[in-house]
Amino acid sequence: MTVITRRTVLTGAAAATAVGTVNVPVASAGDDKADLASFIDISVALTGIAQEKLAPDLDPINIKQAYFEQAQKDPAFDDLLARWRNRPAGAGAEVFFTQRDPVRYLARNIIIAWYLGGWCKTEVLESYDVPNPPPFPIPFTVINAAAYTQGWAWRVAQAHPMGYSELRFGYWADKPFALPVLIGSKK
Amino acid sequence: MCADTTADVVIIGSGMAGALIAKELGRAGKKVLILEAGAELPADTNGYMRTFYNAYFKVPEIPYPPDVFTPTSSSDLNDLTDPGTVNAGRPTVMSLLPTNWQDPAKSYLIQKGPLPFASTYERINGGTSRHWLGTSLRNVPNDFVMRDKYGVFVDWPLRYDGSADKSLNLKQWYTKAERAIGVSADVADQTYLGVTFDQPYPMPKIPLSYLDTKLSEGLKGFSQDGTELKVRSTPAARNSQPYQDRRVCAGNTNCIPICPIQAKYDPSVTLAEAFRTGNVDILYRTVASDIVVGENGRVGGIKFVRYREDKGPRTEEGTAVGKLYVIAGNAIETPRLLLMSMNRKGVANSSGLVGKNLMDHPLYLAWALMPADKPVYPYRGPLSTAGIEDLRDGPFRKQRGAFRIEIGNEGWNFPIGDPQRTTMDFINGLNQSGLNSGSGGKPGPAVWGPQLVENLNRVLPRQFRLAFLIEQEPEESNRVALADAKDGLDLPRPEIHYDLSPYTRRGMAAAKRLATAIFNKLGATEFTQPAPGAPSEFPSPDNPAERIQFYGAGHLVGTYRMGTDKWKSVVDADQKAWDHDNLYLVGCGTFPTVATANPTLTLAALSLRTVDHIVKKVLN
Repeated sequence: MTVITRRTVLTGAAAATAVGTVNVPVASAGDDKADLASFIDISVALTGIAQEKLAPDLDPINIKQAYFEQAQKDPAFDDLLARWRNRPAGAGAEVFFTQRDPVRYLARNIIIAWYLGGWCKTEVLESYDVPNPPPFPIPFTVINAAAYTQGWAWRVAQAHPMGYSELRFGYWADKPFALPVLIGSKK
Repeated sequence: MCADTTADVVIIGSGMAGALIAKELGRAGKKVLILEAGAELPADTNGYMRTFYNAYFKVPEIPYPPDVFTPTSSSDLNDLTDPGTVNAGRPTVMSLLPTNWQDPAKSYLIQKGPLPFASTYERINGGTSRHWLGTSLRNVPNDFVMRDKYGVFVDWPLRYDGSADKSLNLKQWYTKAERAIGVSADVADQTYLGVTFDQPYPMPKIPLSYLDTKLSEGLKGFSQDGTELKVRSTPAARNSQPYQDRRVCAGNTNCIPICPIQAKYDPSVTLAEAFRTGNVDILYRTVASDIVVGENGRVGGIKFVRYREDKGPRTEEGTAVGKLYVIAGNAIETPRLLLMSMNRKGVANSSGLVGKNLMDHPLYLAWALMPADKPVYPYRGPLSTAGIEDLRDGPFRKQRGAFRIEIGNEGWNFPIGDPQRTTMDFINGLNQSGLNSGSGGKPGPAVWGPQLVENLNRVLPRQFRLAFLIEQEPEESNRVALADAKDGLDLPRPEIHYDLSPYTRRGMAAAKRLATAIFNKLGATEFTQPAPGAPSEFPSPDNPAERIQFYGAGHLVGTYRMGTDKWKSVVDADQKAWDHDNLYLVGCGTFPTVATANPTLTLAALSLRTVDHIVKKVLN
């Protein structure tokens, strides 16, 4: 199999990944409105999708609420919020990934939710976080039907979830919309 | 409890063949009763769509009953439904996993090998055409005359248009079939290898995808065996205009397993028209269990068993009586019924060929990544809109299986379940896709945020795959028999014996070589590799150290072949059983060879030809 090497790109980019530019008022865990606001900021930092696309002000599908409630059930949720709120100035989502701990897997689950509409058991993600992981694919639960149809993996591919297109006959003959149009201008 | 019924014609199965025949009989004023083993359709298909959206394993069978998993959303293989517990079971993609294919508690088919039969089907209103792709190609003329032309296989009793007896030419029936199911295509694009047209298609072609156009440009001037590889639009039973009160295709990229807007034809369209004649009735959840033949050699009735719940008890038994009987199961369920009838003495089987010559188009799947500056933007449009057809015929057919090449618009979804797998790789720092390679053979690191976007957008828009559908040699040793294992109604399940002959394997090897040559010509990077532990693989005849994996095409063919000699075939050219004057066996099981087109349009053409014969010459 041919190998694509892009380690150098990643190393450089990871160091420069400073996302999450929204200032959040300090709030204690348990304040639902503030927690949701933090959850959205965290989601923007984790997904690389602009807030106006991820959780727009006018949001009839409101998928963020389903993900927020899913995340709240995770025992590491308070730790995740605390780590975000207490991160050093200029730091971004890398604060979630410094060690093999439940916050890391919760953060990954939040990405999986936004990208694929799925949620893994923590121990499943932990079991794959080793040099020789179990056989694939990684099992997860689809959070709900809307979670699948709102998946960002397809939009980042400049496409749409299979079985859910809002486009018209023949669109496939042309180039898709440019990526910034789909994921928002702010990264 | 008895529920005996009578009609002019009793049809077993409501798939494409059964539906088309029922409609024409109904229009001719004949009373028809259809027995369908599986469930009726719900009032709308939103429930099926929800099941699909919520499913982890989005396999072709997942939206439909009986449930593949309990619950259907499960990602746990331990939740697979035991096919011994359901009343109208069927094989599924899940039953083909390395750990499952020979486990009767996981696989409806009792697979005896040496290789797995890798295709699946449905038992439900509309049959397997619930989850078909919609490809509606005609056979090329030489597909019908392999013995005469190349000295291999057998000839069909029918021709494309070359018979002096015009009633034996299928061409006009292809035209009627294209109208009956609504095919979008372009005559100029489809005129090749001797295929000609007298009339246009009912709808203009489906536009090529961006990928198709880029492959067409990239392959300009590229030849194989002296034939230039031309990318041609694929005829499809998908609407390019409103047709049969159905919408135009919106490119949901989901023909398999389910079109969300019914822009793709399925037999429920024809069944609805059949019911509107007022002459056609149907019993769902009604499994034919015994074809009863009288001393005069004529079929006198078909016994059936009914149930209400997929896993529930028998609720009724009865006999359907008609003047004429049409068995329209598929090439596994029809021979199963024939073989289990008359206390397993069998029906229509004086040739001994019922169940034999099971074929598919063993499918060679190859996938690659286009160069970084040449994205092709997959995951858009119908699952396939074009193919390479010009290698479906040539002198090489004396030695190896011919093939067509289907170009897929769904990236690497078919090969590795993308975009899920690659996305999971980048999120978790793994490399099952081959797209997250780091240094020293290790996976690249886990990423998030803009880096995740960048990584995914760098690879997903460049993915594409090719599927080579290889013509399989008919062999009597590839067969359907009755297994000891039973289904929920205590009826014997199908037992399958299956292998690929050297001829077929050479066709697969030629496909493998050509795939690599195409990728090289395009400057694409190939990632094809057999799935670990896949049972559907064999050593390459070119290099035994290399393994070739095949997939099923879903094309079940050949197990009650038609012919001109009653000792060498099961039915005649009209699909009438040689042994029983009032029994017709229809569907792809009558094909003497699997040929090089996806079989559905030929099935439809044969069905329309047969019902015309029945109406004009038998029941009149």
